[in-house]
Amino acid sequence: MAAIGLLAKEAADRELLGLMLGELGHRVEGAGRLEEALEFARERKTRAFLLVDGGGADAESLTREMIRAFPLLPVVVALKVRDASRAVALMRVGAAEVVSPPWTPEDLKASVSKGLRFQGTVLTVASAAPLTRSPIWYALSVGLFLAAGLGVASLKRVESNRAAAAMRVDRWELPVRHPAGLAFDGKALWLVEWFTQSFYALSTENTAVQLVRHLTAETPVAAAFTAEAMWTVSADGTVIRRMREEKMTPLTRYPRAAPNSAGIAFDGLYLWSLDARAKVLRKHLVDRELSVLATYKWRGAKAAGLLFDGKTLWSLDAADRRLLRHGRDRPDEIIGSVPLPEYARGDFIPAGAAWDGSRFWTVGEPTNGKGPARLVRHNVEAF
Amino acid sequence: MQASFLVPALLRFPGSAARQDSWGRLLKITAGGGELSTAARLIRGETVLIKFELGGERLLIAARVHHAYDDDDGQRVAELRWNDMVERRRLARVLLDVLSRA
Repeated sequence: MAAIGLLAKEAADRELLGLMLGELGHRVEGAGRLEEALEFARERKTRAFLLVDGGGADAESLTREMIRAFPLLPVVVALKVRDASRAVALMRVGAAEVVSPPWTPEDLKASVSKGLRFQGTVLTVASAAPLTRSPIWYALSVGLFLAAGLGVASLKRVESNRAAAAMRVDRWELPVRHPAGLAFDGKALWLVEWFTQSFYALSTENTAVQLVRHLTAETPVAAAFTAEAMWTVSADGTVIRRMREEKMTPLTRYPRAAPNSAGIAFDGLYLWSLDARAKVLRKHLVDRELSVLATYKWRGAKAAGLLFDGKTLWSLDAADRRLLRHGRDRPDEIIGSVPLPEYARGDFIPAGAAWDGSRFWTVGEPTNGKGPARLVRHNVEAF
Repeated sequence: MQASFLVPALLRFPGSAARQDSWGRLLKITAGGGELSTAARLIRGETVLIKFELGGERLLIAARVHHAYDDDDGQRVAELRWNDMVERRRLARVLLDVLSRA
């Protein structure tokens, strides 16, 4: 039997709640004013307090006062008018429980018992496990585990095969002499040749020429692909958005948008161009003017190509014969580089680069200007 | 971690349930769900909107009652699963913040 203090302004409430608490086996000390209630709490060591909210009494301030005087004393509030927001507000100021009207011995019992065993909320980031699991759940889990195991084994096998294939370094002679750029459209490599003003679509399997397109009105120097368009740059810096079809129909022209272009690349949101003369990387918004949003210093020796591998930008440095990896947030910073030993002899100068999703490709122009250009598929393991 | 307080929560129900707002105490809060003690008769499968404050942040998160039973005191204890993925992520951040400060 616990001594419970009761603070209710109206005598009828005190009588009703006193009777209910008495029925529940508690000894009740009723009070009409806060001072009286505090006096009771001090003298008779009450274990909890029940306050009535409404009828001229503001339980919020009473709860505050009560907790200030007795911080460890649980306070239960009985509302005269049901109001959920009010109940939550009372709990926020420190009420252990709030009982809604009409007051019943059952509700009162539950709330007072809870108040007497007041504990804190358990906070944890990890999710709680479901309480019960059926046999079907376990059977499915085991099945899923086995399937996942088999899946991982298959993936490992595929990966090891891919790695073995990637160990190879392949070179092909091309039917062109003056390559200017290289791009990958998801299926084929596109070689840009400035001398004959042509584009060559090459198979990634055996570099067979699948398509040739001559442009008589312009001299292309670089290309890039997006999901719905092909972007090319001419020697005068004009960027052209084209349809992705055999005719490469021009859709939009952006005069002098990418001057002295060594390469262009699309990162999924912005078009990037590399200015070989000014040695800067430009970030373009794909709008009517292909507006330059930002310009970053390019820290290589001789710019020859630009590509996006799905994560970061890479540029090709023809003088140092390496691929430079640019920082994602600060593209002016080189965060890595990949040497191209295939060009170490110096008989070819790298002129363009592309990424096919798993390996880098570069195209080289013969140093003496004679003989065919060379296409190189690089060993991905080297990166 | 057990906090020194019980987090009060306001319960709101979908219009179709035609139920008055209610309130309760969150006995446990995790990034995936929680445990609620309330006088409201919650039943398994029911959807309820829980509004509470934690670490100075106000959260309003839809939950599904995964399991519910009456405890020894006659109060309803409901195990909840948060439905709203966006609020769930926010709650996880708040929990990490509160726990890191504890």
